Amino acid sequence: MNVSIKQLIRFHVTGENADEQQMDDRGLRPALLAPYRDLTSLRYDYPLILVQGEREETSVRSLSSIVDELLQETAPHGIEGERMRKHCFRLETRIRALATRQVQGSLAELWDIAALELVSESDEETAWSLTKELNHARQRVPANGTVVDCDEKVTSVLLEHLWRRTYRARSHDALKRLDQLSAQLSQILEADFQTTRAARTPESLKGSMGAGVDDTFDFVALSDMLEKGARNSSVTERRRQRISAALAALQAQPFFVPESEGQNESDDGAARDFVFSSCTDAWHAFEAHTPAKIELLKAIATAELEIDNRYDESEHDELLAGFSEASLTQEDLDFFPSYLICMHIEACQGSEKAKLIELLCSGLPMKVLVETDDILAEPSLCEGQFTFGARSQQLATMTIGLNNAFVLQTTSSCLYQTRDRIECGLTYEGPALFSVYAGSHTNITDLPRYLTAASATQSRAFPTFTYDPALGADQATRFDVDDNPQAQTDWPLQNLAYEDEDLQRVSQDITFTFVEFAACDTRYARFFATVANQGSEDVLVPCGEYVTSSEGENGNKVPFVLMVDAEDVLQTCIVDDKLIQAARRCREMWHSLQELGGIHNSHAMRLLELERNEWEQEKEREIEQLKLQADTAPIEPGDQPIVDQVSAPPQDAPAADPEPVPEEPPSSDEAYIETPRCTTCDECTDLNGKLFAYDENKQAYIADITAGSYRELVEAAEICQVAIIHPGKPLNQAEVGLSDLIERAEEFS
Amino acid sequence: MSVSAPRCLLWSNDEPVVLDDYVSEEPRWCTGCGDLAILAAVQRLCRDEQLAREKIVFVSGIGCSSRFPHYMNTYGFHGLHGRALPVAEGIRIKRPDLHVFVNTGDGDCCSIGAAHWIHAIRYNMNMTVLLHDNEIYGLTKKQVSPTSPKGLASNTTPRGAYLDSLNPMETTLGVANVSFAAQAVDWAPGLLYDIISKAYKHPGCSFVRVLQRCPEYLPEHFDHWMDDPDQLLLLTHEDGMQVTPDLARIYKQQEIHDPMDLNRAREIASMKDRIPVGILYRNEQVPCYEDVLNPAGLFTPEVVRTNIEAELDKFTVWPAS
Ligand SMILES: Cc1ncc(C[n+]2csc(CCOP(=O)(O)OP(=O)(O)O)c2C)c(N)n1
Ligand code: SF4
Ligand code: SF4
Ligand SMILES: [Mg+2]
Repeated sequence: MNVSIKQLIRFHVTGENADEQQMDDRGLRPALLAPYRDLTSLRYDYPLILVQGEREETSVRSLSSIVDELLQETAPHGIEGERMRKHCFRLETRIRALATRQVQGSLAELWDIAALELVSESDEETAWSLTKELNHARQRVPANGTVVDCDEKVTSVLLEHLWRRTYRARSHDALKRLDQLSAQLSQILEADFQTTRAARTPESLKGSMGAGVDDTFDFVALSDMLEKGARNSSVTERRRQRISAALAALQAQPFFVPESEGQNESDDGAARDFVFSSCTDAWHAFEAHTPAKIELLKAIATAELEIDNRYDESEHDELLAGFSEASLTQEDLDFFPSYLICMHIEACQGSEKAKLIELLCSGLPMKVLVETDDILAEPSLCEGQFTFGARSQQLATMTIGLNNAFVLQTTSSCLYQTRDRIECGLTYEGPALFSVYAGSHTNITDLPRYLTAASATQSRAFPTFTYDPALGADQATRFDVDDNPQAQTDWPLQNLAYEDEDLQRVSQDITFTFVEFAACDTRYARFFATVANQGSEDVLVPCGEYVTSSEGENGNKVPFVLMVDAEDVLQTCIVDDKLIQAARRCREMWHSLQELGGIHNSHAMRLLELERNEWEQEKEREIEQLKLQADTAPIEPGDQPIVDQVSAPPQDAPAADPEPVPEEPPSSDEAYIETPRCTTCDECTDLNGKLFAYDENKQAYIADITAGSYRELVEAAEICQVAIIHPGKPLNQAEVGLSDLIERAEEFS
Repeated sequence: MSVSAPRCLLWSNDEPVVLDDYVSEEPRWCTGCGDLAILAAVQRLCRDEQLAREKIVFVSGIGCSSRFPHYMNTYGFHGLHGRALPVAEGIRIKRPDLHVFVNTGDGDCCSIGAAHWIHAIRYNMNMTVLLHDNEIYGLTKKQVSPTSPKGLASNTTPRGAYLDSLNPMETTLGVANVSFAAQAVDWAPGLLYDIISKAYKHPGCSFVRVLQRCPEYLPEHFDHWMDDPDQLLLLTHEDGMQVTPDLARIYKQQEIHDPMDLNRAREIASMKDRIPVGILYRNEQVPCYEDVLNPAGLFTPEVVRTNIEAELDKFTVWPAS
């Protein structure tokens, strides 16, 4: 319909809607989402497979990646593999459809259902080859595990899956260590027992040979002989009790359970004691666990000291008795499993919220997932300004301020992409917050969750970022926004291709802004109005452009977004100014995240500007000076142009390693040994152990010059194979045969 | 992992260990024997690293040099001729908490024990192997050894050794999985200490050949090399050995050699005109056999018994009912 420009402006400014058609009765969606009408026919991250088995490198895979790997391995290249590829892709689509319909099961189970469906729909001939090919492929599927779609539960299910993996790894390492300590502790008692008479009785000797021993051995005679060497136990009663108590504590610990084959993921015993849906419950559990943790740590310390034979009762009894909650360190806490809390933002109110903040501040290994499925509030509640994602985003940014907590903010559409980051958060020593937007729930949108979640990422309404204190000390290494599409830009540009009224193909790049995201929410439909494009081209400006321009530049323009209706017919929708204001705030928030992540950082840019100005000024001064010199000096052929000389990068200064001044040897009058070169060969020390002695490094020096004769000094110099003894001049001028000795000593002066 | 806050307190009662704490009986080696220099360097290393005496073990075969464990006040095993390395490997598997040193002679390692030597390098188990190479069988009174140079007159080759000698560095550097190979001379104690200390710190099988004087049977054998410091070629590198100004003054012949460069290491090893001293090759990325094996659980007597029972059960013949 044609409307006057005035009407357009009126709608934009006031939101009043005279004749324009409101958007929600047309089932519109942003034009960029048009290709995603049927998600099951698209190959994308979902459904995910939560892979079972510890040996797998990755514990989360996408269905598509598994099918691709399968085809890589099994389908021959070229035309021969074509049929196999076709069948497997059809099956993939069918499994995806099953997952969307919430059919539960493992990949193997869903594979069978999907294969059966496909076969039953085919004619006899195709059915035969289909069954054959799919059976062949089924044997080679590289991974199996529960299939999950992008539904309201996916984030918590995935997080728990990954958490269990870290739990099992920690359990495995801890049990290995504890078993080792137990074995070594038991050996102390066992070794002691073997030296005693009790171990050498005929019965005990016979028992040690195991069953089935006949009369070949005379155990009585053997015992008679061995008893002679027996002695009393050298382990005191007090030590025995201490070792037994430590052994009991090591074996009775409740925190780690051994894996058993074929164990059900959700049923690994102790893990249940560490997964919660409320912070308060997790805190209570943590407090309840503390005494047992202290006992176990004391037992470990006792065992380590005992095994190294370093337990000193006079000292260690008291130290260990004084071990309390206050003595627990981060390292101690990290030895135990972390705690996982999965909650909805709605539950995060009042005392729960206070507890959450307390946990995040505590430094304890608390891993908290806070999920939200509505980041745009009900518009009527806040007529003045729309708040979007406020609570979740505030929580994430506030937690960054705590400095020592890991933070990941993301949406459920990015879970596969950020799976490694999630694992980093789960293994991080200390608290971690995972703030996840799980896509909008169905009463506020017509789109599937995956699409609203992806839209929130694209539109920067809920950007993905990570803050990982384990990576380094400064913001630049800790903070990362690179997981966002086209993170350098305000909003990602995407290509939209369509046919216009004249059936001509048109292709244009458009942005997916916050306004497009709001357009997915039925509650916001009244802030849009569809209009006919003709006649108003001069007035209408794409929303992305409008938001980034200043108010002045926009003048009497009206922003619009491109939408499509249920028949995929393109519609132009003008936008209420309130949404434009919200989009501007969204962009500002994104800018501050970009800055934290080092993109367009204002401090850095300012510094750069300053440095550049200074550099330019200096160069100008130098050029001036050189020009002056050049005017006075004759020019040699082949001279480098002056400007090049100035701007050439500074040459590396020659390595200014000052040659260390070697120590002066003592004067040749004094007897001395070049001790650092002594090879400890015993020659001189054998000759006179008082005159020559070894220092703390077992190298010879002249210990007492008066303890020997000049003759001995000279003889030692002669036998020293490395010739490092220097006899100097004789002290006692009355020694016999001096002149000959002085001559012989010449060689060593 | 441990109780770390009071850990420093729990473990603080240790008295510092001095060099004499590692000294046991008086060595029975001849005066002037190069083994004494190796012993002094090792004792110095133990003192500087403050190694607990019950946490190290010296394993040897048979020969003068193999008497080494007797002179260390630590655990020791004076074993069979040529068999030091397999014993050391067994200890390494069973007692991963101990640091294992091996002392072996040129006869012990390169002759009767050569097969073990090759596989020990290939297994790359974490241990420090010192080859005391005096180029002669010392204990059995001057018999020719594989490393004796061609023409050397000995009691078994009175007219001179017939064959070209075996070069232990070339051999070691030719074995798969080699991870550390260095050469030292007993008469340059500062360098000897530095090289042994780097070998000790290397995670894997570190092989150090030490040219060692036997003044008893080959009194002038190394004089040519010893009298002129220019006969040594020092291998220096920021990742290898660095030489103090004092030593640099004495040993002027130096080459900057990257210990990761295996090809150059092989060239250096085959040098004939000078004795290269330093780290020829070092690669910390080579996996250790004991880590690759990584036994899933502990082999306690119970586990062993259960496993054996399970094996035997496979052969059980049940009486017909
Ligand atoms: C099985 C066996 N064969 C031979 C001997 C005799 N034997 C004792 S020591 C030795 C050679 C030692 O030479 P080396 O290893 O170079 O040690 P060095 O004495 O030179 O330090 C020989 C052949 C032996 N003890 N055992
Ligand atoms: S003779 Fe020379 S090398 Fe031997 S101990 Fe004495 S100073 Fe040292
Ligand atoms: S014989 Fe040779 S190797 Fe043996 S102790 Fe004497 S000098 Fe040393
Ligand atoms: Mg020898």
